[in-house]
Amino acid sequence: MSEENLSILSLILNASVLVQLVMLLLFIASVISWIMIVQRGIYLRNAENGFKHFEDTFWSGVDLNNLYHELSQEAQENGGNQGIENVFRAGFREFTRLTDGQSADPEAVMEGTDRAMRVALSREEEALSTHLPFLASVASVSPYIGLFGTVWGIMNSFRGLAMVQQATLATVAPGISEALIATAMGLFAAIPAVLAYNRYAAQVETMNASYETFAEEFSSILHRQVHSK
Amino acid sequence: MIGWRSGYITAVICSIGLHLLVVAAFLIDWPSESKDIVVQPKFIQAELIQLKPKEKPKKKASNSKAKELAAKRREADRQKAAQKRLEQQRISEREAKRLEKLRQQEAIRQKREQRQRELEQERARKQAALDEKLRQEQAAEIAEQEKQSASSYIQIIQGRLSQSWSRPPSARLGMQTLIELKLVPTGRIVGVKILQSSGDVAFDRSVEQAAFKAAPFSELQSMEPRIFEQYFRSVKVLFNPEDLRL
Repeated sequence: MSEENLSILSLILNASVLVQLVMLLLFIASVISWIMIVQRGIYLRNAENGFKHFEDTFWSGVDLNNLYHELSQEAQENGGNQGIENVFRAGFREFTRLTDGQSADPEAVMEGTDRAMRVALSREEEALSTHLPFLASVASVSPYIGLFGTVWGIMNSFRGLAMVQQATLATVAPGISEALIATAMGLFAAIPAVLAYNRYAAQVETMNASYETFAEEFSSILHRQVHSK
Repeated sequence: MIGWRSGYITAVICSIGLHLLVVAAFLIDWPSESKDIVVQPKFIQAELIQLKPKEKPKKKASNSKAKELAAKRREADRQKAAQKRLEQQRISEREAKRLEKLRQQEAIRQKREQRQRELEQERARKQAALDEKLRQEQAAEIAEQEKQSASSYIQIIQGRLSQSWSRPPSARLGMQTLIELKLVPTGRIVGVKILQSSGDVAFDRSVEQAAFKAAPFSELQSMEPRIFEQYFRSVKVLFNPEDLRL
């Protein structure tokens, strides 16, 4: 097979250095973007399941103090919670700390709690959307990189054609073929990245919205507690 | 933190596995589709076939009697053969004579036909020449008619032009201006060009103005388009004040 002139492997091996570099770059980009895709997929699925699970336990009427201690214990074992539990913990911690003092002004307590939860929320949002910019840039740039490799390869093969006395299709066809591999690789890297980016961006959006809703609800509960005292 | 890292590890394994699969698919399962296609020339094998005469088994005369008998028979055979040959000769001579006669008749007929054909061609040529002449005459006649009708129109145009021409005071006898009028089938003038100036600017301008004043020549609308195209698409008019006594 390797003896054959037009096998993919021999085409890649015979390509010019720049085109080979482009191909290598695209291959690496593809590998990394797939790592991101799988990792993000796992992470987002976990976050979604965790959110559902937490909401169920939260609304099941469990004592908030108990829930907080459970979660803190879990966090210590696992080295940190993720997702909505963090928001809850941050808010509750701040709330208990502020209400411990005897002369707690309800407005000040709510303000502090809200601020703590906002911080936790924004941290969670950040965590949800990590790597998505990378996917976006792979999706948009790798076709161009591939195209660059193709153009370079075709340029060279036409330059070679100009030096040949009798130009036949066979003198340019291998060069063009090997150049087109670069475009194929670019598309190969870009298409999954585009799909994944679009899907994950939408998912992150909905997750953020549901986190915010939960934070609002939790804050209203705390508000009731503060003012009923 | 452990959960996060394990997520990354599975992701890396998945990704690299996927890419290895793709690369392997390219390296291993790439079917070599290019079979050597040999175009064989189509040819017909020719063989030389020899027709061998069948060998006749020779009979050997076993004894002298038989030999004598055989000799006699042979003699008789020979005579018969000679007779036959003579007869055949006669027949073939007769045949040859008949053939010769036929051939002569054929030749005579062919000659006659040829003559006839030549005559016909000649007649056709004469007819064609006549037709051509007739056509030319007709064409000339038509052209004459057209010319007559055209000249009547030209007279109309001339009359109109001279009516609308007001000569300037600087006009002198012997001044001449040749202009070219571009006309359209409605009779309107679309362009006036002075081909040959008289040397007097006022005179030239008066000629131009006369042309525009005389237009449109609505009479031209009733003209056949062919005649218009031939004579009136562009008309050259010579203006010279003959009636001036100067």
